[in-house]
Amino acid sequence: MANNLSAELTQHLNSRHFYPAAAWLQSFVSGTRPNTALPALKQTALFRLLATDITASLQAPTHTMFPQDALSPGTQTRTIAGPIICQVLDIEEIGLSRWAQVEQIEAKERGETTKGREIVRVVEDENEGGTVAPAVHSKGPFKLLLQDAKGAQIYAVDLRGIEGINTSMAMGTKLLLRNTDIRRAVAMLEPGNVQVLGGKIDALDKVWRDGRKERLMNAVKIAGEGVNT
Amino acid sequence: MARILCVAEKPSIAKAVANHLGGQARAENVRGIPWVKNYKFDYDFQRWGQSSVTFTCVAGHIQAQDFHERYRKWHSCPPADLFEAPIVTQIAEDKKAVASNIEAQARYNDILFIWTDCDREGEHIGGEIRDIALKVKPNMQVWRARFSNIERAHIIQAARTPIQLDEAQANAVAARIELDLRLGAAFTRMQTLSLQQMLPQQGEQKKVISYGSCQFPTLGFVVDRYLRVRNFVPEPFWYIRVGHERDGINVKFSWRRGHLFDRMTVIIIYERCLLAKYAKVTKMQKKPTKKWKPLPLTTVELQKMGSRFLRMTSQEVMKVAEDLYTKGWISYPRTETDQFDRDMDLRRNIQKQEQDNRWGGFATGLMNGGFNQPRNGRNNDKAHPPIHPVNYVNPNQLNDNEKRVYEFVVRRFLACCSEDAVGEATDVEIDYGGEIFHVHGLTVIERNYLDVYPYDKWESSQNLPRYVVGETFEPDEATMHDGKTTAPGYLTEPELIALMDANGIGTDATMAEHIAKIKEREYVIARPKGGGAGASNHGAAERGGGRGRGRGRGGRGGRGGAAAQNGAGGTSGVQEFIPTTLGVALIEGYDNVGFETSLSKPFLRKEMEAQMKAICEGRSTRNDVVQQNLEQYRAVFLRTQQQINVLKDAIRKYVGGANQG
Repeated sequence: MANNLSAELTQHLNSRHFYPAAAWLQSFVSGTRPNTALPALKQTALFRLLATDITASLQAPTHTMFPQDALSPGTQTRTIAGPIICQVLDIEEIGLSRWAQVEQIEAKERGETTKGREIVRVVEDENEGGTVAPAVHSKGPFKLLLQDAKGAQIYAVDLRGIEGINTSMAMGTKLLLRNTDIRRAVAMLEPGNVQVLGGKIDALDKVWRDGRKERLMNAVKIAGEGVNT
Repeated sequence: MARILCVAEKPSIAKAVANHLGGQARAENVRGIPWVKNYKFDYDFQRWGQSSVTFTCVAGHIQAQDFHERYRKWHSCPPADLFEAPIVTQIAEDKKAVASNIEAQARYNDILFIWTDCDREGEHIGGEIRDIALKVKPNMQVWRARFSNIERAHIIQAARTPIQLDEAQANAVAARIELDLRLGAAFTRMQTLSLQQMLPQQGEQKKVISYGSCQFPTLGFVVDRYLRVRNFVPEPFWYIRVGHERDGINVKFSWRRGHLFDRMTVIIIYERCLLAKYAKVTKMQKKPTKKWKPLPLTTVELQKMGSRFLRMTSQEVMKVAEDLYTKGWISYPRTETDQFDRDMDLRRNIQKQEQDNRWGGFATGLMNGGFNQPRNGRNNDKAHPPIHPVNYVNPNQLNDNEKRVYEFVVRRFLACCSEDAVGEATDVEIDYGGEIFHVHGLTVIERNYLDVYPYDKWESSQNLPRYVVGETFEPDEATMHDGKTTAPGYLTEPELIALMDANGIGTDATMAEHIAKIKEREYVIARPKGGGAGASNHGAAERGGGRGRGRGRGGRGGRGGAAAQNGAGGTSGVQEFIPTTLGVALIEGYDNVGFETSLSKPFLRKEMEAQMKAICEGRSTRNDVVQQNLEQYRAVFLRTQQQINVLKDAIRKYVGGANQG
């Protein structure tokens, strides 16, 4: 029965380009309740997998990972058919100066936002009568750091704007890449070639979010020194 | 024959109106006040028939509010008591003669006709005049004139159609006066008593650290920008430019993205462009374009333009505009309205300008068919039209500042009645390596309003050659460049006014005074933009020490001809503001006590301003507004008192070298 279930789940996950490691699958199956319906289990498995670190939970065949030569800056351009599952380790907005981003974060910390010249108080609780923060997403373009199941890391840029990719996205979000143009070891993300699957790595996300302002400020300092000399 | 007592808000208006109505009216002196005259003449008001008229004036507010004697001394009570201490309203010490003149005149007259300026403050002053008159003559009829300039025909029309005083507006002012008194005194005493000994003392005078509910947010804007400038770190960025020569014209395409802050990404994009080799034209558009003529002139706009183009501070501009209004050259300069009523006869005002040798020709052009109804803005205070010239004055009769402001008002008005400038815009866009580059060209075809309005710039760019959508070409060059971000400038006066306007700090009429106040308090220093070392110019600015009762003011001074002469003369160009160490310390201190209700933020005051409006519109009452605001500010007061050490820390941090810890 358990074997049968494992097979079913594997097939389901594979059809979505996820190749779970045996250990992960085993631990998942052993944690399921016997009477749960199969469709529900399939969904749960995918959902759980999206919340994992894929370098531990996936055991992917080579075609679902970045080939070695794609990671070499010497390669001018090369297309990788994929599909490749990877997770987002970092994202930076590169259309706006880091300092301007710091100022935005600080305004948010103070509970303020601006509407033109007007300074608006932002209240978390709607009942307080203040303006509730509209979900404003950063505009981009973005530079991301991606990681495949084998742990290989690669930079990527989103120049066109892709739904779901912005600085409010969760770190550890899983992406599915197809027919991706890799230039000088940087993946050029295009709307038609990227599927944002969702998911998150809680620990990573928390550290990333808590440290974002400080990282930006440090980066500003380093960049600033370069400018002044 | 009816006997009518007319009372204006200030001497100049009384004189001007009396002369319009009574020809050369006979002026009688008033005992004890040399600057007030009682003008006597006969006039046929339509409503009351041929009447015997006495036209006199006050000088701004006659009554003064203060705490009951028991609470007046600095140490007489804990400052928190001032939130509910009884307030006494009395004839102000220096207005006793004015008041007794009105009493004396009221005895001889049957009808009181009030001619104070038509705004909230004027309504309140009108109420004060009425109260004084009715006390000695309870059965007097009370009327009010509605007017917005001192031009003869307009004044005669106003004399014909009296209206009633607007109690709601007077109540709004009363609420504001009480709040300003209580909040100003409570916070000023509290912070002065707690912090004063930490400040270096200059001479015998101890410094009063005054608070005003408009002053502090105004200061907050200045400090906020100052800290942004100070904390700023430049960052490098990179960008790409594409050049192409066609028909002998060197066309420079710029990158749609502007620039990016990541070198690696730009290099990759740049390489992709070079590899693409050919650019493809994706858009070639020629379309008619316009530069819109300006909107009718409001007070805020006049102040902003004044400090930008007329080399004056907002306060100076207002003072001059006030003078021009009093002399009958321009309409009332305190207005929020940026739309002219359809039935207003604008041509008549244009016609008067035809005789000028600078813009007369333009005015004639408008009279001969060039006239166009001005654009309508979104604001209408229903009290006054936009600022416009009401009569022509020869420049020889004006001083330098008056000349500049009058010229601006006239040019603006003529521009409003003219036509938008017309041009043709050309936009070319190319796709090069997946990136969009563009170039924009402009040909001005008809300058129209620009001919009379040199404050706007709109000029033709270079001609662009012909491109066809879909064609490809090989750019002559594609280059990658770098640059760096630059710090914002210190807050300039027009920017500050715009911020105050957007955030509801003060009214159009009082903003300039709040700005002058924070200079006078030595919370900020003003200097010409880009002035660098000129920071010590104002070192000798007037000190705020001598005001025994320590009250902060949010109200307006400068009424009734007693305008404060501030900000020093001879300022040139736009002013920028830099906070003093004390200014920074106060704002940081209050912010550290708590952002949600920090007095440096505009939120509380903005709410108060909105509630004043609600009183005027009958949606709220004086009492409700006062109580509600006192409650809110009291919470901040108590919190600040509990955490006074936070404020002290900020003072210690910025204002070093204090006398004792």
